Amino acid sequence: MSELIRVEGVTKRYASSSGPIDALREVSLSVGAGEFCTIIGPSGCGKSTLLGMLGGLVAPDAGRVVVDGRPVDAPDPRRVATVFQDPGLFPWRTTLDNVAFGLELQGVPTARRRQTARDLLGPLGLRDFAEKYPRELSGGMRQRVAIGRALAIDTPIVLMDEPFGALDEQTRVLMGEWLLDIWRRTRKTVVFVTHSLHEALALSTRVVVMTARPGRIKNVLELPMPYPRAMESAELVALRAKLWADIRDESLRAMSGM
Amino acid sequence: MKIALIRAAILVGALAAWEVVGRLANPLLYVPPTAAVPALGRLLALASYPDLLEHLWTTVREIVLAYGLAIAAGLACGFALGVNRLVGRAYGPILAALYAVPAVVWYPSLMLFFGLDAASKIAFGFLLGFFPITLAVLAGIRQVSPHLLTVARAFGADGLTAFRKVTLPAMLFTLVGGLRTGLALTVVGVIVGEILGSRSGMGALINHAYGLFRTADYVALVVVTLVLVVGTDAVASIVEQRAQRWSES
Repeated sequence: MSELIRVEGVTKRYASSSGPIDALREVSLSVGAGEFCTIIGPSGCGKSTLLGMLGGLVAPDAGRVVVDGRPVDAPDPRRVATVFQDPGLFPWRTTLDNVAFGLELQGVPTARRRQTARDLLGPLGLRDFAEKYPRELSGGMRQRVAIGRALAIDTPIVLMDEPFGALDEQTRVLMGEWLLDIWRRTRKTVVFVTHSLHEALALSTRVVVMTARPGRIKNVLELPMPYPRAMESAELVALRAKLWADIRDESLRAMSGM
Repeated sequence: MKIALIRAAILVGALAAWEVVGRLANPLLYVPPTAAVPALGRLLALASYPDLLEHLWTTVREIVLAYGLAIAAGLACGFALGVNRLVGRAYGPILAALYAVPAVVWYPSLMLFFGLDAASKIAFGFLLGFFPITLAVLAGIRQVSPHLLTVARAFGADGLTAFRKVTLPAMLFTLVGGLRTGLALTVVGVIVGEILGSRSGMGALINHAYGLFRTADYVALVVVTLVLVVGTDAVASIVEQRAQRWSES
């Protein structure tokens, strides 16, 4: 698998009332083309900051991120699309025009970008909602619109920052299955941030466990099992126990540090 | 339908009460509707004030000019202060404080600066309309979700594009609300200016009729002015609803 994203010793420092705090400290990571790489860790471990760096929205204080051979210094919507935890849909735009937003910014003519967006509505399960506004959609639908907006610009890389974090458990599991299906069909490279062990184990080819602040990489698990995964298989149950042990330690540290 | 009925009932009730009270008290001071309607007829037939239309036109022209200036200056000032955080934080509270001052205290100085003719009325209407527009722009910019701006940036928007595609549509409703308030206050400013001291315009006629104790004519003039004001507000309200439908969140 050829390397697509390389994170080289990035550090991020934030000012706080008790002096500077390292959100991330010397994190290095490599993600191959076509991987579904999940980053998991306790709250405040800098997962979102790391994702922001990959997307060019956050500048590292030290180190650098290289995507496809080029150092990242600004958002590059030709190569990287981002899905946020808050879907961040534009309330004055319909589903179709929200999905087409990125294409609009890239200057794609109206008819063509609306066609592209329309073609995506089927797989998004939003065919009957093209002309609806975000307030008329459920939470799961809104997040699918946001995912559609990211898929529409057809980048090789999609970053997802806890995209299902605000959804209820059942919707979350179904959305995970749906995302897996999309990912397997498009073969995009996905970097996915989550709190959920289930999501990490069901979806990822690789799981990166981060430590409590300052965020560093604690462990990396390879998950070569085929999809769809039987979550109650002995192998996954054992992996889940191991993953939980890692995360539990760090979460306890994060809690005592608060 | 029900609402229309209730409104009609309120109107009829008020007119009836007015008639009774007007007749029981002094009909010269309280001008019951039965006296006001013929006066309105005479006014509209250009019998009581033959130059009514010229005065009406003066007032409309003053309102249009004052409102145009208020929009231009209000938008320019609002965006200048809103886009530049530092300047906005320095001047915003001063603006809000000035807005809280009863604007009529400025009027004597405006008459000194601009004379008794249209200019002082336009200046006063402008002054009243300017503040709500500026403050609406500031409030509108402040209410734009930073997250939506981040999303736009992630999808490749530069500053200007983000302003066009996110800030402007997100603040549109607040902006149009401010424009509507600005219009209403501009109209108030122009007419109050005319009443306080002027040789032409609806306010001047009202002042004239009132000064000569022609109370029925005075009421008729007020009715015509009311129609003018309610008419402009109705137009503004239609525009506002359009904007709301477009930007609904």
